[in-house]
Amino acid sequence: MARGKDKKKRKLEKKQEGDDVPKKIPHTLESLREKDETMLANVEVEEQEEAQKDMELDELSSYYQNSYEPKVLITYSDNPHNKTRIFGKELMRIIPNSISRYRQRSSVKRIVQSAIREDVTDVIIVNENQKQPNGFLLIHLPDGPTAHFRLSSCKITPELRKDYKEITTHRPEVILNNFSTRLGLTVGRMLGALFHYEPQFRGRRAVTFHNQRDYIFFRHHRYEFTSDGKRAKLCELGPRFTLKLISLQQGTFDSKRGDYEWIIAGRRHQMETSRRRFFL
Amino acid sequence: MLLTEDTEIDLFVASKIGSFKHIKYHTESSKNTKKCIENLVDIKSLQKDDCVTCMEWGNKDQTEILIGKKNQEIQVYSTLQGFTKTYTADYSEGQVVGLGRCGRRLLSATAGGVVRVWGKDVDIHTGGKLDRMRVCDDDTLFATGGEENDLKIWRLGEAEPVFQAKNLPHDWLQLRRPIWVTDLTFLPGEGGRLAAVCSRHGYVRLYDSRAQRRPVHNVEFQLAATCIAPSFDERQVLVGFGRGQIHQVDLRVGRPDKGYKGCVGSVTCLAAVKQQRLIVSASLDRHIRVHRYETKELLYKQYLTSKLTCVLAQTESSTPLSKQPDEVKDEPVEAETAQDPPDDMDQLFDNMETVGDKPKKIKKEMEESVQLKKMKPSTEGSTVVDLTEEEREDAIKQLLRSTEKQKKKREKKKRQKKAKSVFHNA
Repeated sequence: MARGKDKKKRKLEKKQEGDDVPKKIPHTLESLREKDETMLANVEVEEQEEAQKDMELDELSSYYQNSYEPKVLITYSDNPHNKTRIFGKELMRIIPNSISRYRQRSSVKRIVQSAIREDVTDVIIVNENQKQPNGFLLIHLPDGPTAHFRLSSCKITPELRKDYKEITTHRPEVILNNFSTRLGLTVGRMLGALFHYEPQFRGRRAVTFHNQRDYIFFRHHRYEFTSDGKRAKLCELGPRFTLKLISLQQGTFDSKRGDYEWIIAGRRHQMETSRRRFFL
Repeated sequence: MLLTEDTEIDLFVASKIGSFKHIKYHTESSKNTKKCIENLVDIKSLQKDDCVTCMEWGNKDQTEILIGKKNQEIQVYSTLQGFTKTYTADYSEGQVVGLGRCGRRLLSATAGGVVRVWGKDVDIHTGGKLDRMRVCDDDTLFATGGEENDLKIWRLGEAEPVFQAKNLPHDWLQLRRPIWVTDLTFLPGEGGRLAAVCSRHGYVRLYDSRAQRRPVHNVEFQLAATCIAPSFDERQVLVGFGRGQIHQVDLRVGRPDKGYKGCVGSVTCLAAVKQQRLIVSASLDRHIRVHRYETKELLYKQYLTSKLTCVLAQTESSTPLSKQPDEVKDEPVEAETAQDPPDDMDQLFDNMETVGDKPKKIKKEMEESVQLKKMKPSTEGSTVVDLTEEEREDAIKQLLRSTEKQKKKREKKKRQKKAKSVFHNA
């Protein structure tokens, strides 16, 4: 980089050109992100077609063809504490057509079996450690995939000084943000498939899954357009939490004998070669 | 020691959505581009159950590929002619899990547990679910195995199995050991005597059909093994796992001895290239990878947009890329061939230029020399020369002109610079 005199020159130039010059955008880890070959945006037509076909034929495609209404079962690890219970209940309020049940010492595989029998389309299992929810297992039924997330910085509504009564029963709008790679797309599709495909716009509720540097941030808002209709005011309803993908598995849950589509355990150093490399 | 020569290996890859691709892999890594990949199936025509579940060579020349699909369709693909025949294996339920040729007879197995010998139309019930059926290259033998259906070796034309594996004795808690054969292979060069088996319960076993019914060697892993392939030495196998590991297991010593890193998802199929000593693996993370056998380094990795299920490496013969990529492929060759003539041409042009240039230069030189003759050396700026007044005036004019020209040039350059600068553009 040129410094010293050049810098002066540049400053002068800037002064001459005046204020109408737009500000330069600073570099961030995201903007300098290492190119990922699986990103859909920058590939040829043929590959894009194939990826499209891949998505059309996968297990989640039936949801995106609006052929069924999702029904979600939320359950916990055994003997959940207060926070996890409240968290589960709040999830229940967010996700339409969902039920929360205690696990009753049942194994995940048996839960999956009975859920399939009851025509449940997705199962969420919230794990807890030291009274804090720390795991989020999402199983799409009847035949997978299964995503395992680490759940962190979970804030339930009382912690945010909000009232759960503010959450209406309207079906929310879902915003999936920044899922760009093939893996990210699958994960985004899985998260999207939890919600009813037809939001009730009357409720003005929006649920956001925002991916930034492989962390998926969840926020829940009610919005209101200003009188001139140009901007929207946001009111957070809670809860808040952050997800990080640990593994994505083909088929329903079988951690020992399953086929993993993506797993980071045991090869973290191999995969996380750079700070600017992201997988979602 | 190192092979610097570039050799080509043809890889055939099939995927979960039913796409079927041909990759020309060059051992010289710089030659591997996306142009070396071609689709052999039209992607738009794919249906929901087109998932390729099984792929085998149909003959010893490796010019025929048998493809088994989830919708019980069996396709025969000739590397020379394209798709030739289609069979429908609707004699039993489930996907096609094994294919092969014994002599000229086509054998196919479905997940329901029935093996059919086409042509004779003989159905063999193997007594349980099947996960894999493989045909022995050397003999008229084939082996089957599946979930709770241990290895059985059959001879073509006989209704009873030649060999039936026996489970290991109960463990120290007196519990039965579960069986789940996910993949099996005959070890080459043994005449179908030795068969190795891998399991989702995490064991790799070697059976010797002459010695005993129980496995000769048993290697335990804590991982689910998904695929197995014979390795380079005798009694060595390559095993792929559901969590993305590849290990070489030495069945003489009975322990794993090499690990190949790089897979992020489950390994679905392995192939060993004997001559170049390479290991090709297909994985659910949508990548195909090539490792060097000895050094274990990752040589090649390519994203193929769909989850891969099967891979075959063509070693006996080679297949050129078909039309469309062929042209593309030819380009570099053309470029290479074209590059030589351009050299000549360049030379020609060079010559021409020199021919055109020289007189100018000569002229200039001549002029200069004339001027030099007229003027004293290096006195372009100085006017204190013993010249006549006219000449002096001329010289001044020239000087002025030249300075003007230089000024103009400078201005032009400045303008260009400004136009180039980011600030101006912004």
